Amino acid sequence: MNDENNIYKDDGFIIETKDLKKYYKDGTIKALDGVSISVKPGEVVVIIGPSGSGKSTLLRSLNLLEIPTEGEVLFRGVDISAKHVNINLHRQKMGMVFQHFNLFPHKTILQNMTLAPIKLLKKTKEEAEKKAIELLQKVALADRADAYPSQLSGGQKQRIAIVRALCMEPEVMLFDEPTSALDPELVGEVLDVMKNLAKEGMTMLCVTHEMGFAKEVADRVIFMADGVIVEEGTPGEIFTSPKNPRLQQFLQSIL
Amino acid sequence: MKEKFIELKEEFVLNFIDGGRWKWLVDGLGNTLIITLFATLIGALIGVIIATVRSTYDKNFETLQKNGGIGYYVMKVLNGICKVYLAVIRGTPVVIQLLIIYFIVFAKSNNDLFIAIFAFGVNSGAYVAEIFRGGIMSIDNGQFEAGRSLGFNYVQTMIYIVIPQTIKTVLPTLCNEFIVLLKETSVAGYVGIMDLTKAGDLIRGRTFSAFMPLIAVALIYLTIVLILTKLVSILERRLRRSER
Ligand SMILES: Nc1ncnc2c1ncn2[C@@H]1O[C@H](COP(=O)(O)OP(=O)(O)O)[C@@H](O)[C@H]1O
Ligand SMILES: [Mg+2]
Repeated sequence: MNDENNIYKDDGFIIETKDLKKYYKDGTIKALDGVSISVKPGEVVVIIGPSGSGKSTLLRSLNLLEIPTEGEVLFRGVDISAKHVNINLHRQKMGMVFQHFNLFPHKTILQNMTLAPIKLLKKTKEEAEKKAIELLQKVALADRADAYPSQLSGGQKQRIAIVRALCMEPEVMLFDEPTSALDPELVGEVLDVMKNLAKEGMTMLCVTHEMGFAKEVADRVIFMADGVIVEEGTPGEIFTSPKNPRLQQFLQSIL
Repeated sequence: MKEKFIELKEEFVLNFIDGGRWKWLVDGLGNTLIITLFATLIGALIGVIIATVRSTYDKNFETLQKNGGIGYYVMKVLNGICKVYLAVIRGTPVVIQLLIIYFIVFAKSNNDLFIAIFAFGVNSGAYVAEIFRGGIMSIDNGQFEAGRSLGFNYVQTMIYIVIPQTIKTVLPTLCNEFIVLLKETSVAGYVGIMDLTKAGDLIRGRTFSAFMPLIAVALIYLTIVLILTKLVSILERRLRRSER
């Protein structure tokens, strides 16, 4: 573990991007057009903005699910967007939660959670299961350990997706609209899990339309439009005294 | 009426009983089943590999291109080889492939049965590859992304997450491939292998009576195909039920 950690040059930030650009269709679509962010360990950053503004692209660039056209992504001071980086090792430390859960349908809940720790962290089955059960208890789903994803509600699936990522003991968690595919009455149970995670000090970047969540737990809110960051600040600054007219307009439209 | 019956009986005795000729059909059927079974296995193996290479190339093109270097060229070459293989196998008749493999590739070998298995396996692989590729492509991209975001590399994601799901979706199609192959192996006689078809034809040549042996062979094929088709539809229903 220590050897591996040596490659990092911790500089006070866990994640940084430098002038990140992502173009599609030969540059006619600029999903990201120069985005620089820096996130400190333990920070909770919420990203908001209208649909198509590049929020998902930004989040997915952080673990290189999208390959930036230009710019850098730094994880603990190391440029992980450079050539010949073994991105798989870094991804183990960055959990990701998707809008559509993406649980593995052919595996039970417990298998979903222990697959990666066993194969990648070389944990024994017993160790991995012990950790998984602990996490399942935290999200009150220990009784569903042997169920298949198709037997769960959307809210339960997303809670499982979160703890599946946590089984890898990540240093940062990325959420891309984790509650957008849920029936309204199931949103709360997922947000509660995320709030607890934030309280425990997890570094989180979260794309969401849940402004209540942003106000309550975000240290910082980033507002994006057209592939750039238009405004950023504390929840108080963003929600009570927005400066940019586009942000004002956006906030009006969603309230 | 009675005369007709006696005539048929004599025909039957002549074709199947005399000289123990029914045993030819049994042996022939044995060879047909052996060739089909092992060729299907080889075909499935080739198919999975080819489909994996092809979809790896398609899905990781961006990364490969970015990193450049040897990996990119290796994949490009592998993908090229796969494409040529698919084009050649699917663009030529199976009999020609069999003859080429028998008389040119393995000209020095005497193991006829092995050669036939190899030839039909190589042939089947091309079709299975496309079945599998369709299966892989039909798996939601979110499954790849979930695997990759946990830290699995591409191959691990394929092995642990995508292929197990693909097999479930393509299993019925794979069984149908077995049925198709069962009938296609009837050209094995071209290289002197006594499969079911050849056995019937040998009997015809010996007894100078075509009706009984050829109809018998046809009925045997038909029976097996009907049984297998029924089994596949049962399997399909089972898989669908276990889905949800
Ligand atoms: N694979 C892609 N090909 C082409 N355009 C894309 C692709 N992915 C995203 N885009 C475009 O990039 C822009 C930003 O998308 P996205 O990051 O998904 O926005 P958001 O998550 O804020 O809704 C959109 O205009 C979208 O259409
Ligand atoms: Mg999005």
